[in-house]
Amino acid sequence: MSDPVRLQLLKQIGSADHVEGLRSLRDQVHEQMEALLPTHPVEQFNEQINEVHDAVIRRSINLAEAEMARLGKGSPPVPYAYLLFGSGGRKEQTLSSDQDSGVVYEDPVSDSADVKQYFKELSQIIVSNLQSVGYPPCEGNVLSSNSEWCLSLSEWSRKLDHWFDEPAWEAVRYLLIIADGRCIYGESRLVDALKDSFFTDMLNHPIILQRMLDNTLRHKVLVGIFGQLLKERYGEDAGSLDIKYGAYIPMVNSIRLLSVQVGIRETATLDRIAMLVEAGQMSESDAAVYKQAFRLLLRLRLMTTEQKEDGLYANNGKLSSRKLTKEMTDELKSSLRLGKKLQRAVFKQTMGRLT
Amino acid sequence: MIKKTILALGIFTLLFPVAAFAEDPSAATLNMGLNSLWVMLSFVLVLLMQGGFILLETGSTRMKNAGHVAGKTIFTTGLAALVYWAFGYGIAFGGDSAVNALFGWGNFFFDPSITASEGDNYPSTVFFLFQLAFAAVSLSIAWGGFAERAKLSSYIVFTLFFVAIIYPVVAHWIWGGGWLAEDGAQDFAGSTVVHLTGALAAFVATVLLKPRIGKFNKDGSANEILGHNQVFTALSVLLLWVGWFGFNAGSTVAIGDGFFGFVAFNTMLGAGAGGVAALLISWAVTGKADITTMLNGTLAGLVAITASCAFVDPWAAVVIGLVAGVLVFYSVKFFEKIKVDDPIYALSVHGMAGIWGTLANGIFATQALADKVGIGTGGLIDTGSWKQLWVQFESVVVVGAFVLAASFLILGVMKLIIGFRVTEEQEIIGLDLSEHGAYGYPEQMKKPGHNIQN
Repeated sequence: MSDPVRLQLLKQIGSADHVEGLRSLRDQVHEQMEALLPTHPVEQFNEQINEVHDAVIRRSINLAEAEMARLGKGSPPVPYAYLLFGSGGRKEQTLSSDQDSGVVYEDPVSDSADVKQYFKELSQIIVSNLQSVGYPPCEGNVLSSNSEWCLSLSEWSRKLDHWFDEPAWEAVRYLLIIADGRCIYGESRLVDALKDSFFTDMLNHPIILQRMLDNTLRHKVLVGIFGQLLKERYGEDAGSLDIKYGAYIPMVNSIRLLSVQVGIRETATLDRIAMLVEAGQMSESDAAVYKQAFRLLLRLRLMTTEQKEDGLYANNGKLSSRKLTKEMTDELKSSLRLGKKLQRAVFKQTMGRLT
Repeated sequence: MIKKTILALGIFTLLFPVAAFAEDPSAATLNMGLNSLWVMLSFVLVLLMQGGFILLETGSTRMKNAGHVAGKTIFTTGLAALVYWAFGYGIAFGGDSAVNALFGWGNFFFDPSITASEGDNYPSTVFFLFQLAFAAVSLSIAWGGFAERAKLSSYIVFTLFFVAIIYPVVAHWIWGGGWLAEDGAQDFAGSTVVHLTGALAAFVATVLLKPRIGKFNKDGSANEILGHNQVFTALSVLLLWVGWFGFNAGSTVAIGDGFFGFVAFNTMLGAGAGGVAALLISWAVTGKADITTMLNGTLAGLVAITASCAFVDPWAAVVIGLVAGVLVFYSVKFFEKIKVDDPIYALSVHGMAGIWGTLANGIFATQALADKVGIGTGGLIDTGSWKQLWVQFESVVVVGAFVLAASFLILGVMKLIIGFRVTEEQEIIGLDLSEHGAYGYPEQMKKPGHNIQN
C-alpha cells in the first residue's frame, strides 16, 4: 500500500461516522494488504497493519462514546484509558486477531457506582462495535465488557496485589496478560500507573518468577530431536504447522519473561529485544538472530489459514506446509531451533535469578 | 491341629491301603503327565488371549460398537472350535494325504483316544486344544480388518473358511510336515503361521470393506478415530503378553530339560524392547510419547520374537524387539498414507512384525539352537550363510501369496453374493444396535428415536 493511499485510508477511518463504514474500510484494507504480504518487508507490513487496527479500534471507541451521549448517558465521568492485551497490546495483530481488552479509569471522587455503570455500558458498546467491524471477542473473556477487566485504578492495583499474593495458575496467566497491556485510547498516564504497581509488585514478589516461568515455557516449540518439523497428523489441518502455539507464542513468551524481570515496559516483542540489549541482558549478536527468527515467525503467522466465521475475521494459527517453500522451511527449522535455545536460556536465566 | 492331621492320615491309610502302597508311576508316565499339564496350561493361556483381543479390539474402537466387537469374539471362538474339530485339524495335522506337501488328510471330526498311548509325550486331546487355540488367535487377528463395519454374517462365513482351510493349510506347510517344513522353515510359535496369516486376512478384509466413514478426508488426509477406552487397550496388551508365554514357551510342548524357560526368557526381552523402541521413536519423531504406539510396539515385539524365540540368543531377542517397535510406528504411518484403514493396527502389529520376526530367524538364528530345536540351520550372523534367510523369505512370500489369494477369493465372492459391509445408516448408529439390538453401553448411548417427542 503506497503511503498516500494508506494515509488517505487512515484519514477515512478516523472520520468514519458509523460502524458499517468502518467495516467496509477494514475490508478494503484487508484486500490491499493481503496482496502486499509476499513482497513487503514483514516489519513494515506488521507496523502498517497495526496502525490500521489501532485507528479502527480508536474510531470504534469514539463512536461508542458518541452513542453513549446520544443515549443520554453523557460523556465519560472521569478520565479513562482503553487497553489492548494480547497481540493487540504487542502491536502484533494479524489480519484476523481477536479482541483482548480492558479499561482503567481514574478513581471517582463520588458516585462510584454510577461511574462503574457508565464504563460498563460504554465497554459493552465498544466490544459490540468491534465485533461488528469483524473482531471476534476473546474466548477467555479477557474483555473490557467483563466487569473483572473494567476497573478503577485503585481497584486494579488491589487486583494485582491479590494476583501476586496468590499466584494460582489463572492469576499468573492474567499477570502475563497485563504485562502485554498497551494504552490505545484515553489517558496513558493511567496505564503507566497500572504498570507502576505491576512492576513494584514484581520486585516485592520475586517468587512469582518461578510461576511465570512454568506458565511461559508451557508451549513447546514444534521441532523434533532430529530437527524435523512436528506437524499436525490428523484432521482437516493434517500436514499443517501450528505456527501460533508451536513457534510464535513460545518466542513471545520467552522474550516477555526476560523483559518483565528487568522492568522493560515495551510490549512489542522486537522492541523488547532491543531494550534487552540496551539493558545489557542480551548480546547484540544474540538479539540479531532472535530478531531475524521472530520476523520470519511474524511473516508465517500472517500467512496462516484465514477463515471468515459469521462475518468475523478468524484464524486458527495453522499454516499448511504446502505454502512453505524449501528455503522458508529451512529458515523455519533454524528459527525453531533458536526458539528452543531461547527457552533454555530463559530457564537458566530465570532460575539463576531465583537462587 | 497336627494331632488331628496325623489321626486323619492314619484313618485314611487304614481305609485306603492301596493309596499308600501303590506302585510308583514309571518315569515315562511322569514325563507324559508333566508334558500334558504344560501343554494344557499353555492352551489355557493362549485361549485367554481371546480376552486380550476382546479388550484390544473394543478399546481401540468406538463405544457404539463395543458390545458387538466383544461378543463376536466369544461367538467366533466357539464356532472355530467346532470347525477346527470337524475339518481344520484334519487338514493341518490329520495325517498323510496323497499330496502331503500341500495339506494333510484324515481325522476329520477328530475322535481322540481318551488317554495317551504308550510312548506318547502327551495325549492328542491336549495337542488338539493347543492347536485350536492358535487357530482362534489367528482368526481374532483377522477380525481387526473387519472392525466397525462388517456384517455379522460375514464373520460367520469367514470363520468357516478360515478355520477349515486357510489357517490349517499354512499350519500344515510349516508345522504339519508340509513342504516348507521340509525346506527347514523356522517359525517356532507362529510369526508367520498365526500372525502373518491373520494379518493378511485382515488386510484383504479392510481393502474390500474400504475405510470407515470419516476416516479419510477428501484431500486424502487422515482423521484420527480414537478408540473409546485406552485402559482396555493397555490391559489387553498385558493379557496378551501373559498369554504369550503359553503361546511361545508352550510351543516346546514338553517340559524336557527346561528349554521352555529359555523361550519364555527371550519372549520377555523381545516384548520389552518393542515397547521401549516404539515409545522412543514416537517421541522423537512426533514430539509426543504416544501410548497407542507404545502398546503396539510391545505387541509387535511379541509378534516378532514369536518365530525366533527358540532360535536366537538373548541379545538378538532384544534387537529383534527394538526393530519391531520402530517398524510398527512407521508401518502405521505407511498404511494411513496409502489410505488403508486399519482400526486395530493388525496389519502393522501382526503383519509387518510377523514378516520381520520370520526373516529375523534367517539373520539371527544360531546353529546350536537350530540343532537343539531340530529345524533348519543357523542364520546369516552365526553361519555366514544366506540359506536360512532365503528359506524364511520363501515362506513369507509363499504363505503371503496363498493367504492373500484365498482370502480375496472367499471374501470377494461373499461380498458379491451376500454383501460384506453394513449400510451407512447401520454403521453410523453402530453395530451394537444394527446387528444385535442393544448397546454395549446402554446408559451412555441413546437409541435413535427415543428422544423424539411423540
